Amino acid sequence: MAATVQIVEKNGAGGTQTDKTSGQIRFKNADNATVDTNNPMVKPGAGVDYSFEKWLRMNVSGGTYTEITNVKAYMDGGNGLGTGVTLYAKAVATFATPAEATGTAGYADAFTYTSGAPLTLGAGPYTSTGEKADHLVMMLTVGTTATGGITPTETLTIAWDEI
Amino acid sequence: MVHEITRDGHGHQIGTDGNITVSLLGEGRMFKRRAIKGAGTEAAEEVCWLVTELDGVRVYQQGNHIVVTKEDLNP
Repeated sequence: MAATVQIVEKNGAGGTQTDKTSGQIRFKNADNATVDTNNPMVKPGAGVDYSFEKWLRMNVSGGTYTEITNVKAYMDGGNGLGTGVTLYAKAVATFATPAEATGTAGYADAFTYTSGAPLTLGAGPYTSTGEKADHLVMMLTVGTTATGGITPTETLTIAWDEI
Repeated sequence: MVHEITRDGHGHQIGTDGNITVSLLGEGRMFKRRAIKGAGTEAAEEVCWLVTELDGVRVYQQGNHIVVTKEDLNP
């Protein structure tokens, strides 16, 4: 007996879900869940290029469980995305249509959230199926020192307690 | 492998992954600490630890690896 848990990406005004549990999340200059090279991030001549926000959330799609608590997110502690590329994260309760980020206010460097100091998404307890806990909102910046090409993938962990 | 936690006829909490069984007699709590590591990549994997806590001491079990500590550990 266990909950069946997905990590979904939400896009559009209605927050249409795409299961990204084991599918790539591509940061880009558009609000969609498609993994392609359209609307790429651009190395700027000055300043940084902000991606559109990625709104991610835990979704219990089925299974049997009593309650979920202590939902959190964290990275591996080391930014492997390359020079000039920074990933940011924050927790947000209420969904809003993903937009192109305009600054880093409210965010923290995602790689400061580690297994020893995770980003809390919700204490719970949560029951039944559907979306649970806060959204994990992430966005990425590309600075002038970045090199071209697709960055290496990075390791995001979503963890929770369950009985 | 996701652990299963049940109670026996004496009210003791029993957690098992099918190979190793942990029994908690009396007070304390037992829960699963689950995670999706590598979420958003094709290398994503599910991890489940069985956590047994008694008087602030926790026993974390995954496979043949058992850790006893007061620390709050994450997968």
